[in-house]
Amino acid sequence: MHEADIHDLSDDADYAASQQQGSRSISRCGSDKRSEPSGAEVVFLKENVAIHPTQYASERIRGRLRLIKQGACLFMTWIPYKEIGSGGGAFGHSDARLSDKDRNLYSIRAVPVTDIRSIRRHNPTLGWQYVIVVLSSGLAFPPLYFYNGGVREFLATLKQHAVLVRSADDANLFLLNDFQDPLQRSLSSLELPRAVSVAPTSTSESSSSSSVSSERPEDGRSYSEYQKHGQKSNDPARDLSIQVLEKFSLVTKFARETTSHIFREIHSDNLNTNDRKNQAPIVSNSNNDVDNSGLESASTESFVAADPIEKPSCRKDISAVKKLPLQWGVLSLFIFDKMTLVWGKPRQSPLGTEEWVTFLDAEGRILDSKDLRKRIFYGGVEHQLRKEIWKILLGYHDYDSTYAEREYLSSMKKVEYKALKRQWKSISVAQAKKFTKFRERKALIDKDVVRTDRSITFYDGDDNPNVMLLRDVLLTYSFYNFDLGYCQGMSDLLSPILFVMEDESEAFWCFVALMERLGPNFNRDQSGMHSQLFALSMLLELLDKPLHNYFKQKDCLNYFFCFRWVLIQFKREFHYEQIMRMWEVVWTHYLSEHLHLYACVAILKKHRKKIMGEEMDFDTLLKFINDLSGHIDLDAILRDAEALCVCAGENGAALIPPGTPPSLPLESNLLYSQQDEL
Amino acid sequence: MSYAYLFKYIIIGDTGSFVSPISPFQIWVGKSCLLLQFTDKRFQPVHDLTIGVEFGARMITIDNKPIKLQIWDTAGQESFRSITRSYYRGAAGALLVYDITRRETFNHLASWLEDARQHANANMTIMLIGNKCDLAHRRAVSTEEGEQFAKENGLIFMEASAKTAQNVEEAFISTAATIYKKIQDGVFDVSNESYGIKVGYGGIPGTLGWKRWLNFSSRRVLQLKLLIFECFDSSNCVYRVSTLYCLLLLFL
Repeated sequence: MHEADIHDLSDDADYAASQQQGSRSISRCGSDKRSEPSGAEVVFLKENVAIHPTQYASERIRGRLRLIKQGACLFMTWIPYKEIGSGGGAFGHSDARLSDKDRNLYSIRAVPVTDIRSIRRHNPTLGWQYVIVVLSSGLAFPPLYFYNGGVREFLATLKQHAVLVRSADDANLFLLNDFQDPLQRSLSSLELPRAVSVAPTSTSESSSSSSVSSERPEDGRSYSEYQKHGQKSNDPARDLSIQVLEKFSLVTKFARETTSHIFREIHSDNLNTNDRKNQAPIVSNSNNDVDNSGLESASTESFVAADPIEKPSCRKDISAVKKLPLQWGVLSLFIFDKMTLVWGKPRQSPLGTEEWVTFLDAEGRILDSKDLRKRIFYGGVEHQLRKEIWKILLGYHDYDSTYAEREYLSSMKKVEYKALKRQWKSISVAQAKKFTKFRERKALIDKDVVRTDRSITFYDGDDNPNVMLLRDVLLTYSFYNFDLGYCQGMSDLLSPILFVMEDESEAFWCFVALMERLGPNFNRDQSGMHSQLFALSMLLELLDKPLHNYFKQKDCLNYFFCFRWVLIQFKREFHYEQIMRMWEVVWTHYLSEHLHLYACVAILKKHRKKIMGEEMDFDTLLKFINDLSGHIDLDAILRDAEALCVCAGENGAALIPPGTPPSLPLESNLLYSQQDEL
Repeated sequence: MSYAYLFKYIIIGDTGSFVSPISPFQIWVGKSCLLLQFTDKRFQPVHDLTIGVEFGARMITIDNKPIKLQIWDTAGQESFRSITRSYYRGAAGALLVYDITRRETFNHLASWLEDARQHANANMTIMLIGNKCDLAHRRAVSTEEGEQFAKENGLIFMEASAKTAQNVEEAFISTAATIYKKIQDGVFDVSNESYGIKVGYGGIPGTLGWKRWLNFSSRRVLQLKLLIFECFDSSNCVYRVSTLYCLLLLFL
């Protein structure tokens, strides 16, 4: 066998017992203590449980699924095997196409079983049994395929150690509950066929009553229908949010091929549920949805609609939705609080020097630019490498340039910079008096550089020479690109670049390269900003229709509340170290040139419940978003942005009009002129 | 903290800072410093330049009523005007700031005023502030000119200094007093929040506060009705009992 991480379980009674239960293949014994809590006991172990990241058999990742008990807590882990030689085994697949690094991205490390909301078992007629695990946080893991069987034992073991309830309606859905709420506990102890139904919150209240009356004028009938649907929907199996999350697990490209038939089945389920919802907006709730903050918040979970991310595969749903725009808008207000995205890969550690040289040939050319961009996309680079790598990411240096060529270019550019700088340095006081535009620009830049990042050590204190460098570079740029000139926000973009480069000329040329992409942000007519905010609104409509509709309803579709995010690429939203990380990831243009727009969507989605729940209007929303500054989890947002990007796929890319910054303009209409200002 | 009213203010005017010709590190900034002086009672010359908008808030008391001022500090640069315009919506008061040491900022007042008139509600109270009156020796705009402009355009006028705090307090408070008087005179329909005024819980048993309570309770009532409905319709005895139990919990 090919597994290299090995476990010493020979003295483990549970393990020995489980050995007898089913067919499995365990070879050597050792231990992988890193991923296990100490003092842990493995209560279930299954070899050859696989994840299928793509439809290619060669890219399937096999690993070991375990349930580990530590004290009163039960954890689930799935660790892929390390690759040794041919991993064919009985199934004849080679995993050789995926590197260990990629494979480890899918690892499931010690998830507490109390965090699991549901497990759905699938028994396809062809192929292997698999389960989909949905966490209460909204995460769903990719389908776990049990090549050697053992789903039943897995569930049985879970049942021994946790509260596992099989859904009454769907024999294949199992719910795990962590009872915290006394109401919930008492209800479940009564073993009710159905639990408390939950009324809508204030916003949905009016619409629900109106939709009830508009949809079903005869009251008697409406109630019986409500009952009928109610019974259907009472069961947790019909809890749409679970289905939605499971489907999200499925809808990703990772399992598309192998699960297509199930997909269709769920799809038809989904249509039913939509119909039902339209008729009876008050959907009865499952007991695990009643959380301890009471009915008001529980009701936010009870309103579950189809996942907007699935829209491309659910055309019929869309048409149904279009017929009922008003109800849809209100009903779906509270739907996606659980819709945290699933598929962003875990972030990696930043690219270090040792690894960096492996991307280079002997003369310093980058062997595979895509590979490098991918690596940086997932982890960024260590600070000491930024000086070198940013120049390449920004396009100042070419990927296939050699060390010597880069050095030569830098020295040539240094001369050129000096010449450019002389252009304004040589303006005498007398000449300046007759040169209003210059005076105004200089005054504006002078004012702004002393208000840029002065709390950073690099720029703090009186008479800091770095502040003067900032001014010189900006003023030189305003001569280099006289049409664009200077605009507030540019100093924010330059500041980290100068900090990294520690060299005036290099910083200038990096800034020039960056402004090739972001220059339109500062067009006087704001065309670059408007096109990006427009693209953002299109993306949000695709990725979170209900939230988009909410903004529409609140007259917020101009997305001005995201203005600062987009203008200076989140510079004011993160700490200095974080923004450098964010930028290098965004600059890779790895999955999309417009990752920053997906990041906007990710942040908005993250707060969608609060935004819609508190019915924020434009003012409140603007203040809320302003106040998020410094409180955004960068890694989480990058992961979500990545997931959204993958999810939107070509549909997303198609929505962003060509030429939207930072994409280069279609034709070089760079002869853009704008007036100066004060 | 509870308030009787919340007023939304917006600070507008040309980008404000002034750099000393002797050392570029000596600067006097305009709008943002005015706001900081009012909200934090401090003068902070080093302050990141405003991109988009920034917020400040302070409680004041007028007629023994606690009033919260929510102040929007906007970016002054011309490029951002189209964005700034969207901030006018729902502002009850505006502070239009110019720099008495820079004539051009005074010359631009008309265009700012036009923006404000066009995009804000007609009853917005506008206070004209000639800032940096501590720099009287560099004065480029006389007090009379400021007064004249204010009179012609129906604005309240004051000269102030963000640095010495002179008249800063007065500027914000007299604007608030004017707005408060307009409320007393019935100029505003305070239940319409587009006037930039929100009624809070503090001070008065405000009509809106009562409305909110009603809204909240009707939500609860609906939940209860549903439960009762479920309860008596169900033939399942255990279910009935449990629903009643739920009802009990809800009431408690």
